[in-house]
Amino acid sequence: MAEGNTSSKWRFNPGALAAIPASVFLFIGFAGPLAMVVGYSFMPAKTFSLLQIPTLENYVSVVTDSYYLSFFWSLLLASISVFLLFIICYPMAYGMAKLFGKWANLITALIVLPLLISENIRLFGWVLILLKNGILDGTLKYLFDITASGLLFTVPAIVLGIVYVYLPFMLFPLVIGISMVPESLKEAASDLGASRWQIFKEVEIPLSMPGIMIGGILTFILALGSLAESKILGGQAVIMIADDIESSFTFAQNWPKGSVLSVMLIALSGIIVFILFRKIDLDQIIGRR
Amino acid sequence: MFKNKINRRNFMQQTGVWAAAAAAGTLPKFARAARDKELNIYCWEGYNSDDVLDPFRREFGAKVRAEGLTSDPDAVNRLRAGETKVWDLVNLNNPWAREMMYPEGLIKPISRERFEPMYKDMMPAFHPPYSWAMDKSGKDLLGMTQRFGPFNFVVNTNKISRSMGEDQGFNIFLDPKMKGRYGVLTYDNWNIYHMCVTAGVDPFKKHSKAEIASYAKVCKQIFNGAKLLTDDLVAMNLAMINGEIDASFTGGTYTASPARFDGAKQIRGITPKKGPMNGKGGIVWIELTSVVNNPDPSGLSEDFLAYVQRPDVSKKVAFAEGTYNPVTQMGSDKVMATFNKEELDAIQWDTLEEEMSNSTDYDINPDYSEMYDIYSAAKREREG
Repeated sequence: MAEGNTSSKWRFNPGALAAIPASVFLFIGFAGPLAMVVGYSFMPAKTFSLLQIPTLENYVSVVTDSYYLSFFWSLLLASISVFLLFIICYPMAYGMAKLFGKWANLITALIVLPLLISENIRLFGWVLILLKNGILDGTLKYLFDITASGLLFTVPAIVLGIVYVYLPFMLFPLVIGISMVPESLKEAASDLGASRWQIFKEVEIPLSMPGIMIGGILTFILALGSLAESKILGGQAVIMIADDIESSFTFAQNWPKGSVLSVMLIALSGIIVFILFRKIDLDQIIGRR
Repeated sequence: MFKNKINRRNFMQQTGVWAAAAAAGTLPKFARAARDKELNIYCWEGYNSDDVLDPFRREFGAKVRAEGLTSDPDAVNRLRAGETKVWDLVNLNNPWAREMMYPEGLIKPISRERFEPMYKDMMPAFHPPYSWAMDKSGKDLLGMTQRFGPFNFVVNTNKISRSMGEDQGFNIFLDPKMKGRYGVLTYDNWNIYHMCVTAGVDPFKKHSKAEIASYAKVCKQIFNGAKLLTDDLVAMNLAMINGEIDASFTGGTYTASPARFDGAKQIRGITPKKGPMNGKGGIVWIELTSVVNNPDPSGLSEDFLAYVQRPDVSKKVAFAEGTYNPVTQMGSDKVMATFNKEELDAIQWDTLEEEMSNSTDYDINPDYSEMYDIYSAAKREREG
């Protein structure tokens, strides 16, 4: 009887009914393609139909081949980029949340505006700056007779690209995270004799941790799947996993192998997000508690 | 039918009626009628240029949609996967029509009566019957040629002379002195062919284990010696012009022409004088545009094929945005008259005939799949 009541409540719950179109759309547009990718990963190599006898041969091939190198580089560069982004963005975010007042809006606009320009075009801008005899090299040669060639087509150039492109995705969660730290708690800590470093370490960082975690997860996942930075600025000095996935689906015409690599990347991202989300409380971030 | 006003009460009912009508196949009749004024083109970039398409749209009152493709095998696979229902024309490199698409029923023949005379106006090498445009029996005409060009490697002639490039051929990239002085243009299918040539192996035949081992060794050496890898010809040209690198492993008129047209005449496509393909060291590609075997065909497909043969349109195709290339229609004085000296210089017209005679036609590599795996592993394991 109780179960029947629950069921009829659900059926006439306007929230649940209103969610049906979005749920159907999500199921078809999001879960459906993901399921197809998973399905293809079990199909025989270099085939284009899902109606075949499943096999693990693609997983075996990916594990025994040298794809670990692409995963390694993607993970390493994503980790380095997130670390650098945190170091760069925290002071900026602190200023925007606590110090700059009305100027924070101007800074926000200046950071958001470049997002309206295609990522590739922005990266090409950096190519012109870093190129041998380009803007930086040419200017330094002219003014100080020193050369800055050899910056382009290197691993640091890829990291520069990732940090540049994904900076807003770290900065704005940090701004929100830092804004959530009540001034009264800092004052209380100060009254109780805490030093500035202690306040930073034991009050500000822990209380702004939701913003730090969200920014970190966002930028890590984006950097893990990045491709343009390695292609345009790095001259593919290293091959990122996204490049292997793209090549598998295009030139190699091996959809099942591309699907295996995609599934592994999604699983890796999923595990990392799962672990990190266990450490933060989303409800706290959006202020329900 | 429209007398019944739609109101809030009968909205769902009316929607249901229309949905049922659509599902029952009533509506496709309207769609079919529209195909007379609709054309979908799947092509290498150039034919999708508005300079080429807009005059056709205006003249024929047509709705033309064109999508650029990224690789021949990819395009063929999309047609195999059912996109023959989508496209009316497909523009690919020469071997695919005769060897794959026609035998598999993906394309259909065009009127020999209407189009064969147009082949007579083309450059002599393309006069009818032009083998890549015919089916294997020599009976059916499978499409029209237009853009073509040698595709081998590109150098900055201020650093590597044309004669040095032509004499040494692809071996120049194996010279230890070239380490860090060249880029690899990651047009992967082309690179596989040229890495075969570099290994002294004809790419267009079945290969022995020893030949594949030689190819694998060259793959590693080429990737390990490269300063950069890019699939962007502009980035590659820029790196050559600014002195980051002196040469591009794979490239040709197709990639060098934009830089040359911008004044960087030192950027030049090179065709080796000799090599393993019956003594030839260069490869030339020829595009063929064919009519897709669409179950609901457009009435404009052959009209478009005829339209792009016109002298002014041929020129627009040759100099569409992005890359500039010779066209087979340059056998006609009327077409030649549309090109000025600068444009001819950009497409290396002065050496084109010689380069063509040192080249063999692009074909299908029977070991592509195995060689691709070796190639992608060498790229991934590259030691910078």
